[in-house]
Amino acid sequence: MDLADLTRDLDALRLRALAAVAAAPDTATLEAIEVDVLGKKGELTSVLRGIGALPPDDRPRVGAVANTVRGAIEAALADRRSGLASSELAARLERERLDVTTPGRPLRHGSLHPSIQAMAEIAGIFEQFGFVVHESQEIEDDLTNFQMLNIPPDHPARDLWDTLYVDVPGHLLRTHTSPGQIRVMQAMRPPIRALLPGRCFRYESVDASHGFEFFQVEGLMVDEGTTLADLKGLLDQFAQAMFGTGKKTRFRPGYYPFTEPSVAFDVECLVCGGPGCPACGRSGWMTILGAGMVHPVVLQYGGLDPERYQGFAFGMGPERISMLKHGISDLRLFMDNDLRFLDQFR
Amino acid sequence: MRVPLSWLAEFVDIELAPEALAERLTLLGMEVRSVERRGAEWRNVVVGELLTVARHPRADRLSLTTVTTGSGAPLEIVCGATNIAPGQRVPVALPGAVLPGNRRIERTEKMGVVSNGMLCSGDELQLTGDGEGILILPADTPLGVPLADLFGDVVLDVDVKPNRGDALSIVGLAREVAAITGTGLRQPLLDVVESGAPVGDRLAVTVHDAVLCPRFVGRWVGGVRVGPSPDAIQMRLLAAGVRPISNVVDASNYVMLELGKPIHTFDAGAVEGGRLVVRLARAGERLQTLDHVERDLDQDTLLIADARGPLAIAGVMGGAASEVSDATIDVIVESAIFDPVSIRRTAFRYALRSEASLRFEKGQETRLARLGADRAARLLADWAGGTVAPGRVDTAPQEPDPARVAFRPARAGRLLGLALGVDEQAALLRRVGIEVEVPAPDVPTVAIPVAAGTKPLSAACPAVDALVALVPTWRRDLLVEADIIEELARVNGYDRIPTTLPATPMPPFRPTPLAVRDHVRGTLAGLAPAAAGETPGEGDPIWVTNPLSADHALLRQNLVGGLVEVIVANRRRGREDAAIFEVGKGYGRLADDAREWWRLGIALAGAFDPPAWNRERRAADLDDMKGIVEALAGALGLPRPRFATLATEPMLHPGRAATVLVGGDADGPALSGAIGEVHPALAGEWDERSRGALVAELSIRGLAAGSLPVPRGLTPARHPEVDRDIAIVVTAERPAGEIEAVIRDHAGPLLRDVRLFDVYRGVPLAASERSLAFRLTFGDPDRTLNEAEVETAMAAVTSAATAAGGRIRS
Ligand SMILES: [Zn+2]
Repeated sequence: MDLADLTRDLDALRLRALAAVAAAPDTATLEAIEVDVLGKKGELTSVLRGIGALPPDDRPRVGAVANTVRGAIEAALADRRSGLASSELAARLERERLDVTTPGRPLRHGSLHPSIQAMAEIAGIFEQFGFVVHESQEIEDDLTNFQMLNIPPDHPARDLWDTLYVDVPGHLLRTHTSPGQIRVMQAMRPPIRALLPGRCFRYESVDASHGFEFFQVEGLMVDEGTTLADLKGLLDQFAQAMFGTGKKTRFRPGYYPFTEPSVAFDVECLVCGGPGCPACGRSGWMTILGAGMVHPVVLQYGGLDPERYQGFAFGMGPERISMLKHGISDLRLFMDNDLRFLDQFR
Repeated sequence: MRVPLSWLAEFVDIELAPEALAERLTLLGMEVRSVERRGAEWRNVVVGELLTVARHPRADRLSLTTVTTGSGAPLEIVCGATNIAPGQRVPVALPGAVLPGNRRIERTEKMGVVSNGMLCSGDELQLTGDGEGILILPADTPLGVPLADLFGDVVLDVDVKPNRGDALSIVGLAREVAAITGTGLRQPLLDVVESGAPVGDRLAVTVHDAVLCPRFVGRWVGGVRVGPSPDAIQMRLLAAGVRPISNVVDASNYVMLELGKPIHTFDAGAVEGGRLVVRLARAGERLQTLDHVERDLDQDTLLIADARGPLAIAGVMGGAASEVSDATIDVIVESAIFDPVSIRRTAFRYALRSEASLRFEKGQETRLARLGADRAARLLADWAGGTVAPGRVDTAPQEPDPARVAFRPARAGRLLGLALGVDEQAALLRRVGIEVEVPAPDVPTVAIPVAAGTKPLSAACPAVDALVALVPTWRRDLLVEADIIEELARVNGYDRIPTTLPATPMPPFRPTPLAVRDHVRGTLAGLAPAAAGETPGEGDPIWVTNPLSADHALLRQNLVGGLVEVIVANRRRGREDAAIFEVGKGYGRLADDAREWWRLGIALAGAFDPPAWNRERRAADLDDMKGIVEALAGALGLPRPRFATLATEPMLHPGRAATVLVGGDADGPALSGAIGEVHPALAGEWDERSRGALVAELSIRGLAAGSLPVPRGLTPARHPEVDRDIAIVVTAERPAGEIEAVIRDHAGPLLRDVRLFDVYRGVPLAASERSLAFRLTFGDPDRTLNEAEVETAMAAVTSAATAAGGRIRS
C-alpha cells in the first residue's frame, strides 16, 4: 500500500459515496450512508487504517486528501438531506391533510330563562342608577300585601289582583312585589333606592294547563325631595337603556291605590315605531310599567312621615319587557319551559 | 266601558276626530283600549222602499217583493219575513254585500225565483235585537243611502279605573271630554209629565238600616205597555254592548249606562200593598232570583221586601216573582244607594257580580238616586207609554254639599317637580268641576288632609298658604291633598311634567342578595343546563285554599318534581335530551308559620353528549350529575363533595342515589342534598318519559342572601409534590368513598390530594372483589419532602386500609 494506492482508494470511496448519496431515496438511507462511510467504524476510517504503513512524510498529504473527501461527502449529505427533508415534509403534510369543512365537535353550553335574563338586565340598569336589590317573602300576609298598601278589605280595587290564599291563617301568595315597599321602608331610612325582583302569584291563568306564577320587578325611591319629574326622568333613562337610545317615551295617568299621582309609562312601539300597528293596538305606544308617587298612607305604614319624605315606586313585568324586546308573541312560552324556545336565549 | 260617540255627543260637543279624542282621553287617564267603527262591516247595504209584496209563487212562507233603492230598475227580492208591506223603507243588502259575521250576500235563486239581494233584520245587521222581522226604517229615511252613513257609529272602549266609578257612564265620560275641550255639558232630560194620584198614595218605602241604604228614591209609572224599545234605542244599546230585552228593562239599562245609576223595576202588582221595606234577610228566608235559581238567603244579605217576604237582593239581582213581564201594568222604579262593601260582599257570596253591582261597589253619590229615578220614569213614559205618578218617594231628600279638601299649592310643586301658579292651579281644577276658594280670613291655620283611610293624617298649614277645593259630589275619589295634586297633574297633562334626574343623596352601598344565586346560575348555564325556577322539606306542606286546578293546589316543597315534569313535557314534544336547572323556592309551614327556602334543582335526561359525526352518543349518567355538583362546589370555593349511599329516598333508585355533603361548620353544611336516578317504579306508575332521568336537589348556603368567596391567589408550590399510587382490593359492594375516607384519615398532614384513578374487576381477583387504585399526592409548601417521610405516610395508609378489610395489590 503506497500513497498512490491510498489516494486512489479515497477517491473511489468519495465517488461511491457521492453516488450513494445522490441515489438515496430518503433521509433514513442518508443516515445509514453517513454511518457506513463516515462513522467510527465506517469505510473512511478503515481506508485510513492503511495510513500507518506509509512513510511519515506522506501521512500529512493523505490526511489532507481524506479531509477533502470527508468534506465533499458531508456537503453532499447535507445538500441531499435538506432536499429530501422538504419533500418528505411536503409528503407528510399531504398525508396529514384534514377535511377542514366538517363541523366541529359540539360543545355544550346552557342558557338562562328569558325571564331571569330580563330581571338581571333590569337590575343591572337600575344598579347603575344607585339602586340596591332587596327581596321579601312570597307568602305574605293580607296586611302587607293589601291593607298597608291602601287597599282595605272589600275595596273595589282588589279586583285588580285576583288572589290565591293559603291555609296559613291571614296569609296569601303575594299578588305583586309592592309589599316589599313596606318591608324596605320599615327596615331602612331614606335615602332609599331599592329594587325588588321576585315571583308573584295570581288567581288567573292563560289557560288550564298554565300556571299562575309570574315575575315582577318593583322599584322604590324615597327621600325628601324626590319628585314626579324625577320619576319621569329616571324611567326615560331606563327605557333608553333597555330598548335603545332615542326611543320616545310617554307618561300618562294610571291608577294604583298605593300611589298618588299614579302613572302608566309607555315606550314607542318597538314594531312600528309610532304610526300604529296590530302589535300596539294601533296606538303607536306600548305600556311597559306602572308607577307613581308613594301614597302618604303607604309612607306612614312604612314608618316614614309623609310631611317630610316623598318618593316614587314603579313595577314592571320582566316577561312583558322580554316580549317587547325579543318580539315574543305569546306569554305562555315563558311558562312552558319548551327547550326549543329556551335554546334561543343563549 | 263601550261608549258610542253618538251617545256621548248628546251631552258634549265633540269636534275632535275619534282617534284624536281617544288619545286625549288616554292622556287624561281614561285609557281608550280600542276605537271601533260600527257599520264598517255593512258593505253594500242601502236604504230601499218596498214597492210590492206578493206571495212567492211556489212557497207559501216566502214573499216576492220589488224594491227600489231610488235609482235604476226595481229589484226582485225574495223575503221570508211577515212584517213587511208596500211603502216601508227597509235595509237592502245588494249582491256583493257583506254582513256582520262575514256573511256574503249574492244573487241567488230561491224556489225558482231569482232574488237580487236580501232585506235585512235588525239582528242580521247587529243593529237591533229583532231577528224575526225586517228592520223597518223611519218613513223619511233617504232612499239609496248606505246604511253605514245613517246608523254607523264610532265606539270607544274605555278602561275606567276602579276609583272612577263616576266615569263609568256616558255622562261621566262627557264630563271628562268637557275637561279636554273646555266646552259646556248638557244634562239628560229629566222632566216628566206627571198625572193621576200622587206617588204617596201608591208606594211607601221603609229603610231599616240607613247605613246600608243611605237613600232610596221610588217612582210609580202606571199603565205601561211592555214591548220592544224604539229601534234607535235598541241600536244604541247594542252599540254599547247591551242586548235589548224590552222597553222596561232597556230603560233600566239605559239609565245605568247613561248616568251610571243602576235602576231596578218591580211589577207593582206583585208588591204587597205597594209597600217596600229595605232590610237584612232573616234566618231561613229564600228567594227565587231572576235567573230562576232558588237561593237560601244569608242574614248579611240586604233585601228589598214586602210584607210577604223578599222581593229582590238589593243592588245585586231582582226576584222572579216581581219581575216586570208582558202582563205588567204598573211599574215601581227603584233608584237607591247602597253600602258599597255590603253589595260587593253579597255579589261575591252569590257569585252574581254584574254591571249593576260593579257600579254599586265603587260607591255612588246620593244625588244619583234622584236623577236616576226621574230619568227612568221619563224613559218609561216615552217608550212604554206609562203615566208617571206625581212626586217621588225619597228616604233622604237632602242633597249633599261639595266636600271641602284643603291643599297647599306649593306642595303640588314640591311633589310634581313642576311649578304651577296659584291661579293656574285654580283654573285647572275648575276644568273638572272643582271650584277653589281661599280659606276664610278669620282662621289662622287650615287642616290639610294628608292621608285618609286606615291611616289618617292631617297637617296644620297657615291659611295664607292654603286653598280649599270644593269637590263635586260625584268625585268620591278626591279625599286628600295628594288626590288634588294628581288632578292638577292630570288636567294639566302628564306630558308637561318636566324630565329631571334625581338630585338626592345616594344611598349607602348594600351587598346584593343575589350574588350566590347569580353565580350558581351562571356556572350551571356555562356547564350545559338551561335554567327553567335552606333546609330540606321543612314542616308540613302549604295548600292553596282556592287553587286554579287540582294540579296547583299544593305549594311545592322541592324543585325536582317540577323539573322532571319539564323533562316529560319536552319529551312529549319530541325533545329527548334535556339538562335543566332551577334556582327557586320551596314552601312549608311549621304550625301557623309559613316558611320559604331557596334551593337548586337539576335534572338530566337523554344524551349528555349528543352524537355527532365525530363522536358517539353518550347518555347522561350519575357521574355527570356528580361532575356538575363537583364543578359547582368548585365555583363556590368549596371542597370536593362527599357522596354517600342513599337507599331510602322513595323517589330515587335505591342503588343509584346518594347524599351530597360539602364543607360546612357549626351552622351546617355549605352544600347538601341528594342526587340520584328517578325510581324506575315511578316511571312505570306515572310517566314512562321520566325513566332514567337524573335529579339533584341541593341546599346551598347563601342562596337566599350571601356573598361569594374571594379566591386566594397563593403562589404555586416551589417544592415538587410527590405522587404515590396504591391499589386496594375490597369486596365489590364496598363504597369507594369509604376507602377514600380511610386514606384521608391516615395519610397524615403532608397529604395534598387523593384521587380514585382506576377501578378493576377480573382476573386475578375473585369474582366478589374489585380493586380501587388511588393516587395520593404529598407535599409541603416550604420544603422538599424526603423519601422516608413519604414511605412512613404510605405505610400508615397501607396498614389502615388493611385494617379496614382491604388487601394491598402490588
Ligand atoms: Zn306598533
